[in-house]
Amino acid sequence: MSTPATATPVLEARALSAARGGRPVLHGVSFSLHARAACALVGPNATGKSTLVRALAGLLPLTSGGVWLHGRPLSAWTRSALARIVALVATDEQGPATLTVHDRVALGRYPHRGPFRPLTGEDEQAVWRGLRHTGIEHLAQRRLGTLSAGERQLATLARGLAQEPQILLLDEPSAHLDVGHQLQLFRVLHEVRARGVAVLAVVHDLGRAAAWAEHMAVLHEGRLVAEGPPDAVLAGEACSRAFGVAVRRHAVAGLAHPLYSFEEVSS
Amino acid sequence: MSETAASPPRSRRGRWALVLLLAALPFTLLVASVVGSVSLSPRAVINSLLAAAGLPGSPSTLGPQGEAILWSVRLPRVLLAALVGGGLAVVGAALQSVFRNPMADTGLLGVGAGAALGAVLAVRLGLATEVFFALPLAAFAGALTAVAAVYVLAHASGPPSLHGLLLTGLAVSALAGAGTSVLLVATEEFRVKTVLFWLAGGLEGRSWTHVQLAAGFILTGTALLFALSRPLDLLSLGEDEAASLGLPVHAARMAILCAASLIAGAATSVAGAVPFVGLIAPHALRPVVGPLGRHLIPASFLGGALLVVVADIGARTLSSRIELPLGSLTALVGAPYFLLALRANEGRG
Repeated sequence: MSTPATATPVLEARALSAARGGRPVLHGVSFSLHARAACALVGPNATGKSTLVRALAGLLPLTSGGVWLHGRPLSAWTRSALARIVALVATDEQGPATLTVHDRVALGRYPHRGPFRPLTGEDEQAVWRGLRHTGIEHLAQRRLGTLSAGERQLATLARGLAQEPQILLLDEPSAHLDVGHQLQLFRVLHEVRARGVAVLAVVHDLGRAAAWAEHMAVLHEGRLVAEGPPDAVLAGEACSRAFGVAVRRHAVAGLAHPLYSFEEVSS
Repeated sequence: MSETAASPPRSRRGRWALVLLLAALPFTLLVASVVGSVSLSPRAVINSLLAAAGLPGSPSTLGPQGEAILWSVRLPRVLLAALVGGGLAVVGAALQSVFRNPMADTGLLGVGAGAALGAVLAVRLGLATEVFFALPLAAFAGALTAVAAVYVLAHASGPPSLHGLLLTGLAVSALAGAGTSVLLVATEEFRVKTVLFWLAGGLEGRSWTHVQLAAGFILTGTALLFALSRPLDLLSLGEDEAASLGLPVHAARMAILCAASLIAGAATSVAGAVPFVGLIAPHALRPVVGPLGRHLIPASFLGGALLVVVADIGARTLSSRIELPLGSLTALVGAPYFLLALRANEGRG
């Protein structure tokens, strides 16, 4: 069922260029994220994926181009209004070791509460929904310092969910996760999307990205070199060139998604 | 399933810790007013305090000399110790959140080094002996000048990174330290002792004027930092996350650093260097009350106040011949505590 609303991008980068530490990283990237999208952003290391995600979240000054949210440039949004719509979940940086998971997730309510409003029943429910959806309810009273890296990563995701955004941006959300937690993570992202949230995730594992996403974008040396349905993108020349590998697709009877294998190509 | 689960056990423990600290402070202040080279009767002290507050009680039995000791020597000193300790601990707690480092302390802002330079300058120019409050005022001016220099230099090329701010603070501190050394060498010997006493940190002979000088800045600054609790919590998660949650990171950070500088400048100008208070109090309390500002800041204020009031009792009473430097006492307790805490931390990995 396609409605006109889904045709308009909710978040859009237009000819976006950005630099980090004086070094140009992104060169004229144009990219659209639609409502309810499940989009995987892939690309080799140090190719600008994190920079693009941060630029989309409005955290970086741009050298040219711009980002539009619901058809308005990001600069026209207040910080808190922006934070109520767009959530960023980055690879976990060590938070305070004595902070409890519950309190960490509750900080995700800041865009709704501001500096002074106490935690309301509604906030508290959003916090517990975030904890439940990420499967870490039982860790609510544990301190961050006592968790594994994977558990902390899930707490960061729970914070993003407690923010109740319309757009969820994730920078390598599966970086510290074992295979079980990875499956759980992508199931959570699938459910989040089913509730109407647009999800853009930087993913390293191409096979996992293809299985989860409906749209895949390949970034190479600061340029968007391919995008489209994952199977088509992975079959394409641009993707092979970006990663310097040959991609093979294996359809396996009984599996919903094809498997992919990769081989080095001598350049 | 209870979604709005009952208040978690740790926050209950935190509340108890706050109540306990709150109850311990008046008791410790009373003990500190009673003991000293001349001890006063606790009952008489309470009666004198009640009488002064216009509350019913037996008439004071302190006698004119006791009254004079209590009201013009002990009380200003004890209250100043509480203010300085509370203020330094709050500054430590705030800076540790901003810099995301449990070792962050007032030294990072250049406050201590700047204050020392100001104090030495006042003494070198002979102001300290001629104008009664020249030394603390010059120290305060020195502290704020150093912070302003850190701020301006760090902003020379756009909004600074945490790292840039930290290194600039170190550089300015080193520069002020060099200036202090040069001035000390060039100062007449009989004046050097004034500076050394001040540098060693202490509260001997402080008056109500000192209390007035410090109280406004310390209490206002603490109230400001308490009001900025939630931005502090966000900053402790890192710059990107704080910004993505809608916090104006640079403005919030600068507001916090300004409030912290006023507190630290005021505390240092009246008491000299009182090291480790800003490290120990928050460090000891964080596991109990948690790292959230709205609990940690009041708890740190109370804990720091207790620590310095007790240390000052020690400074006054441990030796019958001389008054020990307060700063040396806090360092004597603080350094081993900190080394042990560090080792425990590393053991945990």
